[in-house]
Amino acid sequence: MAPRFEYAQAEEVRDSFARHGVRYLFIGKAGAILLGYPDTTQDADLFVEKTDANGAAVVRALRELSFELTESQAEEIGRGKDFVQLKSGPFDLDLVFAPDGIESFAHAWRRHVEVEGFPVCHPDDIIRSKEAANRVKDRESLPRLRAFRDYWLRRQ
Amino acid sequence: MGRSPGLAGQPPAPIIAAVHSDVPQEWQEEFEAAARRPLKTRLRYAFIHTYKPVLDDAGYRSFDSLAEYRTWCASELPDWLGYGPAV
Repeated sequence: MAPRFEYAQAEEVRDSFARHGVRYLFIGKAGAILLGYPDTTQDADLFVEKTDANGAAVVRALRELSFELTESQAEEIGRGKDFVQLKSGPFDLDLVFAPDGIESFAHAWRRHVEVEGFPVCHPDDIIRSKEAANRVKDRESLPRLRAFRDYWLRRQ
Repeated sequence: MGRSPGLAGQPPAPIIAAVHSDVPQEWQEEFEAAARRPLKTRLRYAFIHTYKPVLDDAGYRSFDSLAEYRTWCASELPDWLGYGPAV
């Protein structure tokens, strides 16, 4: 089992992805936590823009972060397979190239939030993706997440 | 707390209509307490790692669509993990 994702790992992702020019956003509960949502989660989800250049950049960044990718895995990430789970690296990471409930990366990027250099989806996009996913665990967390969204908006 | 770049320097309008339900006082207090903590501290307590059967048993998985992933979760993961569809 990979070590826990902590601030240092988040910084490594942020810095490596920036060095390689990766266009991405933190999404899911990890994104909400970056915005200030008090809760726990087990992994970090990244919404990655699906373009050839960005796919190649994310592969370079992941390898720099010591994720061991086979050539076929690198090829799948490079072409933006919709959902990729990485559990063999220094920490667990989920790459989402087409999250439920979000029209496009460009739409999400236009209203994204920067938190200490971390690019994060707007809370409304985080909520929409969870609503669309409609999993048991999402349904359970949505009322509190919506309440946090209202609190967060009042503070802006 | 972060700041949204918004459009033309203006704060973005809410995309989803605000929910004006009664927010439990406990949640409100938790939001305020979290807002007072530095990001580094928030992250230290936010990420936990417990073994999730099946899900954690492979180092790499990929799916052509999220629908395919959801179907896989529903058929392969134990219900109690909560990855199945809400009914």
